[in-house]
Amino acid sequence: MNSDIKRSEQMFPAALLAKRSEELKDISDNELVQAYESMRDEEGAAGAAFPNIKRLYGTALEREKDRREIRGQAEHCDGETQKWYEEARNAPCTWWLENHLVAKRALKSCIGCGICTARCPAAHYFPEYNPRTIVDAALAKNEDRLVELLKSDILWYCGQCASCKPKCSRENNLMGLISSLRFLAQLKGYHLCSVRGRQQYAMRHLCGGNLWNRACTLYFRNVDAEHHPDFGPRYARYHAEVDDQMVRLGASPDRPGPFGGRKLPPQTIAEFRACLAAGGTLVLWNQLEQWAAEDAIKKGLSIEEYHDRVSREG
Amino acid sequence: MAIAFNALPEVIKEIPENDFFLTPSCILGAVNPGTEILIGRIYDLLGLRWRAAGDRAESQCTCCTGFSSHGDLISIESTLLVAARLWSVAVELGFENIATACVTSFAIHSECLELLKHEPGLEARVDRWLQQACGRRLHIPKHVVHGSDIVWRYRDALAQKLRYRLVDHKTGRPLRVVDHVGCHYAKVFPEKSIGGAESCAVLTGPILAWGGETVDYPERRHCCGMGFRQCAMRPNRGYTMACVLKKLESMQPWEPDLILTNCPGCNLFLDKEQWAIREITGTEYNIPTLSYSELAGLLLGWDPYDVVGIQCHTVPIEPFLDKIGIPYDKSKEWITNQSKEALREVR
Amino acid sequence: MTKPVCIIGGGVAGMQVALVLSSLAVPSVLIERSPTLGGRVTRLSKTFPFFNDDGFNDGKEFTDSLERDVRAASLVSVRCGTTVTALHGDFPNFTVELADGSHIPAGAVVVATGFTAFDPTSLPEYGYGVYPNVITATELEWMLNPRGPTGGKLVRPSDGRPAERLAIVFCVGSRNKRIGAPFCSRICCSYSTKQASTVMERNPKALVACFYMDVRTYDRGFEEMYSLAQERGVRYIRGRVSMCRQLPDNSISVRAENTLLNRPFSGEFDLVSLSTGMRPCEDVNHLATTLGITRGPDGFFLCREWFRHPHDATRDGIFLAGCATGMKPIRNCMIDGAAVAARVTALLREANA
Repeated sequence: MNSDIKRSEQMFPAALLAKRSEELKDISDNELVQAYESMRDEEGAAGAAFPNIKRLYGTALEREKDRREIRGQAEHCDGETQKWYEEARNAPCTWWLENHLVAKRALKSCIGCGICTARCPAAHYFPEYNPRTIVDAALAKNEDRLVELLKSDILWYCGQCASCKPKCSRENNLMGLISSLRFLAQLKGYHLCSVRGRQQYAMRHLCGGNLWNRACTLYFRNVDAEHHPDFGPRYARYHAEVDDQMVRLGASPDRPGPFGGRKLPPQTIAEFRACLAAGGTLVLWNQLEQWAAEDAIKKGLSIEEYHDRVSREG
Repeated sequence: MAIAFNALPEVIKEIPENDFFLTPSCILGAVNPGTEILIGRIYDLLGLRWRAAGDRAESQCTCCTGFSSHGDLISIESTLLVAARLWSVAVELGFENIATACVTSFAIHSECLELLKHEPGLEARVDRWLQQACGRRLHIPKHVVHGSDIVWRYRDALAQKLRYRLVDHKTGRPLRVVDHVGCHYAKVFPEKSIGGAESCAVLTGPILAWGGETVDYPERRHCCGMGFRQCAMRPNRGYTMACVLKKLESMQPWEPDLILTNCPGCNLFLDKEQWAIREITGTEYNIPTLSYSELAGLLLGWDPYDVVGIQCHTVPIEPFLDKIGIPYDKSKEWITNQSKEALREVR
Repeated sequence: MTKPVCIIGGGVAGMQVALVLSSLAVPSVLIERSPTLGGRVTRLSKTFPFFNDDGFNDGKEFTDSLERDVRAASLVSVRCGTTVTALHGDFPNFTVELADGSHIPAGAVVVATGFTAFDPTSLPEYGYGVYPNVITATELEWMLNPRGPTGGKLVRPSDGRPAERLAIVFCVGSRNKRIGAPFCSRICCSYSTKQASTVMERNPKALVACFYMDVRTYDRGFEEMYSLAQERGVRYIRGRVSMCRQLPDNSISVRAENTLLNRPFSGEFDLVSLSTGMRPCEDVNHLATTLGITRGPDGFFLCREWFRHPHDATRDGIFLAGCATGMKPIRNCMIDGAAVAARVTALLREANA
């Protein structure tokens, strides 16, 4: 009993926030989650922001807690979709093309007219990128070519703008195909072979972390001047007082309420997480963690160093 | 100067006249919060019924996962479930119509509808998964529209209420407005947009109804380059900047007074990358960018700083206001040089 | 006296049917909707160059020569400016009702109603109808015709200045599942090549670029025409044009992918010609209902047997000639006309025996 009290005192706020993930490994899953949630839900003055959310986002603590939680949730989820993805992970790429819900209806036939590439902003920007060749690889149903594609940077140049979609003479969905192949590349770990593919680990924690903890892909504090110097000094000025500006405009930064920055009740977050799990997404996220851990060891980096590096490479 | 594609489109999709469950946007909420709140204010002005959240703790509105889905992190089944959950929340409130603040959401909801329609057995499976996951049932909404669809529909009614018009108040010249329609509004399902992918009218309609002129330039339908993972990761952001630059270079000969958008990402990048572009290329384009809701708010005479939030923009909007003759108090722009009391009064 | 054959459509196919029937001593009534005979061939600037040269300088000379013979044939009766409103009876005793109220007894009916060019206004990405310097192949043809509005000179409609840079866009309105037209219109590659070659022949300094997906110059002499076009300097770029955008000086920026080089392509042109594909004739619905015949999935009239009786429509006594079954070269329309005339004559003789 005494040691428990001592333990919980040790765990409380600032100490944990500064820790790197390897320093957190002795703390059990439950303790970690509870510590995080108690910090998150600590209220400020009435009607004001919950003060700790801004200290928690993007930290090693949040990431480590996410890892544990997501592993746990996936283990307890026996949804058929989750199983499907677990099996698909080991099946050939050609199997995926015929069975994945999006991939199987993405391509019918291609006359190689090039109208997709003509419109593609990425094809104009990246000299080596040609979306038509992706269609060709998929229609050829050649496992080796597909694996090569999934391992290359080329798969990751598409900006998912759908400029190709309204024009295709044969009504193909090239954007959907690329999206589906990217999912597969990550499941199989092929994304580790390309600079842009490795970035997915950073994406997982940036967007995925926001989704998991705040049920919103972007958290307003992510888009700060440090990460977006291209937005200029006016934006930096705005962001320096973002809480007050958001309140002024009627948003709800880090507090319950409508619109931007809102803190959602745990019950909504739970439903949202359940939907993610039931749809099989956690298979991907767990897989990404596994691949990243392996790749980090291979490169002699800690997981946090690895996370940092992949978001800056290229 | 060609005034292209301004005729009323032949195919106009059915836009319901009332009762909307408004789903908010990640990007708007993060960087341009006034923009989506304005959508609600416009609906209030028009006397429409709308809600953006359920009443129960478990019925709040979440992200549709669109950005993450196109960032290749979410399975299609998870997206289907998240969308189905939102539809279920709408049903709790008695709404059959979904209005999205974001165009990617619009395409996501539309894609879910299409898959459910065409994939045999999927409806039953999603219903079952949804029940297992969070005890909800699948209800297919009657309509999914984008916020700008509704403003398009009511553009003439709004025109009656405008205090200002898209006209240079000194010379009477109609202002030249570039319409930049979000790719996910017009290109993913062109038949679900007003006017289709090539001749989309959702923004040109209000521009013309509110007194302005449209601009046709070569890169008019070019993507702004947001690109999801391309803008999210710093090493990739050159692509985004290049796309924005391409558009700005292309539109410059027509000297537009404004870029009008209906997509959160476009609104963000067409505006904010102009600073970096100036630093890198030396050319200052200085073309103000506004969303359709921000423009409506300004023309209706709502406070530029307290209500519309023009301070969120990198390219200053004030010169545009000067052209129209909309007054503003520049001292209200930033908060930190104001006392908190003054701020409370203003609200 | 044998009842005449009623031929609906006074273009080259219809006229040929009438002439060959006449040579077989079978009377015919040639019904034409517009005030004049000749159909679409009349406005062609040049027919394809062939191994033997019939000596016609343009389409009108050809149709004029046909019309002279038709008018001279005593067994052919011509009715212009009217249409068929109803068909009564059965083979070989039809009665054809015309819009002017007259009733014509007919032993058989030949449908030679031709085709309509696809209207590219419905594909806004090309800017037709909005950008003055984007025209259709039909308009280009008329512009190249010395009888036409510019005396055969290539000009930019926006300002009347000479057009030195011409882009020809293949497959506009064809080979496109998305717009419900998955078929190939067969003849556009060939007529486009002819047009391109003509432009280069008249102005060797011109820049002419054809944007194609395939070059289907399939008929006798056509591949040679393609080869000649290239030798004259016509450029062929393999890639379907995705859009045309107008530049500040009204030139047109054409976007495609050069699929042989795997790179997006963008070029500026004075004039863009859209090689439009075919659609059935404008009143095809009305005709199909009135005559009681079926159409194929591509909208054109369907034949009863693909190999043995390719000119029989799906109802006894009604026959199909020319582009009514799909766009084809002039020569094939003439061949069709002769074949149909022979078939009709044989059947009528058998029925009246």
